[in-house]
Amino acid sequence: MANPDRENPMRPILGTLAGVKELADDIKLFQVELNGERFDYAPGQFAFLSAFGVGEAPFGLASIPSRTTALEFAVNRVGTVTDALHKLEPGAIVGVRGPMGNSFPLDDLCGKDILVLGGGIGGAPLRPVIHTILDHRAAYGHLSILWAARSPSLLVFTDEYGAWRAAPDTELHVTVDRGDEAWQGNVGLITDLLARLAPAPDNTVAIICGPPIMIKFVVLGLQKLGFQDEQMIMTLEAKMKCGIGKCGRCNMGEQFVCLHGPVFSYAAVSRFLESFV
Amino acid sequence: MTQEIETGIRIRVKKLLDLGEVSCVIGHEHGPRGHTRPAFVYDSADAERLVWDRTCHHNLVAYVRDKIATLARGAEPGSTPRVAVVARPCDVRSLNVLIHEGQVTRESVFVVGVACPGMLDAGDPEAQDGQALHCRYCTERVPVFYDALVGDPPKVKVPDEPWPGVAEVEAMPPAERLAFWTQEFDRCIRCYACRQACPACYCFECLAEQVDPPWVSIAHRVPQKAFFHIMRAYHLAGRCSGCQACEAACPVHLPLSLLNRKIAAEVEALFGYVAGANPDTPPPLATFRKDEELPL
Amino acid sequence: MRATSHESLLAWLDTLIERSTLVAPQRVEREWLYRPVSSAAAIAFDFQRTTVSPKGYFFPETEVLLDIERRGREVVMGEPDLAGDQLLFAIRPCDARALLVLDALLVDRPPADSYYARRRERTTLVGLACPQMWDGCFCTSLGSGPADASAVDLMLYHDGDGYLVETVTDKGAALVAGVDWPEVDRPAPEPEITAEVVSVRPPDEWLAAFDEVVWQRLADRCLSCHACTYVCPTCRCFDVRDDLTAAGPGYVHVQRLRAWDSCMSPAYRRIAGGHNPRPDTAQRLRNRFFCKFCYSPRDFCAVACVGCGRCIAACPAGVDIVEVLRGV
Repeated sequence: MANPDRENPMRPILGTLAGVKELADDIKLFQVELNGERFDYAPGQFAFLSAFGVGEAPFGLASIPSRTTALEFAVNRVGTVTDALHKLEPGAIVGVRGPMGNSFPLDDLCGKDILVLGGGIGGAPLRPVIHTILDHRAAYGHLSILWAARSPSLLVFTDEYGAWRAAPDTELHVTVDRGDEAWQGNVGLITDLLARLAPAPDNTVAIICGPPIMIKFVVLGLQKLGFQDEQMIMTLEAKMKCGIGKCGRCNMGEQFVCLHGPVFSYAAVSRFLESFV
Repeated sequence: MTQEIETGIRIRVKKLLDLGEVSCVIGHEHGPRGHTRPAFVYDSADAERLVWDRTCHHNLVAYVRDKIATLARGAEPGSTPRVAVVARPCDVRSLNVLIHEGQVTRESVFVVGVACPGMLDAGDPEAQDGQALHCRYCTERVPVFYDALVGDPPKVKVPDEPWPGVAEVEAMPPAERLAFWTQEFDRCIRCYACRQACPACYCFECLAEQVDPPWVSIAHRVPQKAFFHIMRAYHLAGRCSGCQACEAACPVHLPLSLLNRKIAAEVEALFGYVAGANPDTPPPLATFRKDEELPL
Repeated sequence: MRATSHESLLAWLDTLIERSTLVAPQRVEREWLYRPVSSAAAIAFDFQRTTVSPKGYFFPETEVLLDIERRGREVVMGEPDLAGDQLLFAIRPCDARALLVLDALLVDRPPADSYYARRRERTTLVGLACPQMWDGCFCTSLGSGPADASAVDLMLYHDGDGYLVETVTDKGAALVAGVDWPEVDRPAPEPEITAEVVSVRPPDEWLAAFDEVVWQRLADRCLSCHACTYVCPTCRCFDVRDDLTAAGPGYVHVQRLRAWDSCMSPAYRRIAGGHNPRPDTAQRLRNRFFCKFCYSPRDFCAVACVGCGRCIAACPAGVDIVEVLRGV
């Protein structure tokens, strides 16, 4: 939920692009330091980034406040705004509006085993979930991360694999739809990997993010393994313009993805009259 | 006479659907308030719903391409669904344009051609003889092609001027002309009803709505609206059949067809070409010939 | 109630023009539209319903949200100043009630849309009750009526050649304080209720109608233009985009604009990358009706339709909302 003290929720606050990292093919990680103002945010929330002169677009927050003062966003270059953002160099001024949306119910997940399934850039909003669990390791049960992408060059946060694997009671499995000459790891869809690992649903919650079609098939795969609707949580993407439930665009039935989401349990999603796919 | 057309349509449509020659017929019906509107008939029992009178100003060819595509989605692979469309002479020329441009195949459409007596003015049914302006100067009575013809071709009245309204605007000095169009476009609400009602406007993404690159601002101001209307008229050069579905669709009654008529007059003068008039003549603005001599 | 003659009303309105922008119905070519007037003599009193609703005076077709200047690494942002008060004269009961719907969405649910809220605060509504219902009107099916004064500050009723004046709010009272119009005993005339009441199903019952074939059949004729949404007094979907107004070496001046957009547009939900959850006309058409009669009441307020009937008049393809309501 955007800061209710803000007088004009359509007005961004200014930030400086402190760092830009190549994350994957056409995907960059932007680190934005806010000039003065701070806001508190939780995993799952998103913010609008303005490339002044072109426009703004919503991006999931890929960082957590306890680890860095910068806001981190993974940006895939697919349109005019993202293209303009990709052309920016450190030091550039950007606009930020946020935080918006709801967050993953991580408090409710204490004591449970967590299954994280990330596809492509969908891994970005899941990274803060992983960080939170690792930083409060004892509060959560077993952590299983299934990380996938269409090809090795599209995998994100590969430099963090070591830290994830090294954490206690944590496993990481990576797969790509198709490999390349250098690729030594798994080749296959995330749904095949899931079927092979066949995690038990007992006391487990699955957190999913990726392209809509991937979410759809992962849900089917989890249901086959006995996961109930409330045990599957996803974060959805939608075209947005305001992020605060005014412009009317992002509705899934009477729920606005920007206000009532973007985090939804499958129990809620299955009640949507329209398909998010 | 319109009664004869209406009866003819119903009989023909019933036969087409009974024989399974088409899966859908696009015609007109009376809406709940008595106004005519497009109708889609899938069952021969429904053919009685179809009507025809001089308020049927919709160019139904605007629905043909997408209707075929939708039916194809639900059909067996390899089969091409066929639709029938009730079409006046201007509508059939629009269909010709779509066929020339590869949007629709001749075989996929059964044309129920109407020998058209002309439309009534949509806003003023009692005006003069009631004849809509563009129909007063139309010399076509029978469509340039059809699979079945309904109605008895009425007499052609030779019009006093081929392009009504154009001379008046051309006679305006530039400042007056600018004031005229500014006043008109000011009323426009950028609803795109004109574009959507037009069979020749079928771009997946209209330049007026493109984000990348943003050819025109999203603003609803006169410069943007003028840009949209003038560019649309240019994109219709040699393609607009003069059916005036755009003007009939406009909720604020903009005189849009003036722009199209002006350009159609230029195209006819330069190329001796009327959009869709001849099934075999390729459109000059979409055709390149090395030996071309342009009268410029 | 107080009574006034037509002449006295015009004279009073002319005094108000000095301190507020007076917006009133005007004849513009073949339309009636709400426009600012420079004198009360320009007001059209014989209108039925304007082609486009007056929502544009609260939620403009085009609005500058921000003025942004970037010089090198420095960015300066400004918001446009909304100067002056507005008097919206001869607003119909339906259009005034539509503002309550917009209030619920844009202001009551935080965070408030400051642009809409400011215009709303600065506007006084003087209603003109409808003497009858016209073709397409169905306000009586939605809990209102042609003489419903619940959403205006002052209400006028036709009374012979003059008007009866009802003070509804303090804002309205302040407007007519000291004006020399006599108190009268007679009540406001009853309007002619000619339209049949259409039974509108409760929001929850709409859920069961989601998969019905009626949407496919309706969508056949729908052209996916924006006419219905733009003339509608409760529709408020908008687009936001930066407009480059000036650029030079290391310098950029931009206006961040918002403008009316329509859920009926095929690209409405298409994201960069191509994915579109509503590619079919039937899906978008269904969503529009559900938004008005199911989602909005379930989510934040009463039904998001006031029965003004403009969409019926504006639709180039003969889609009729009353027909839909009867068929669902």
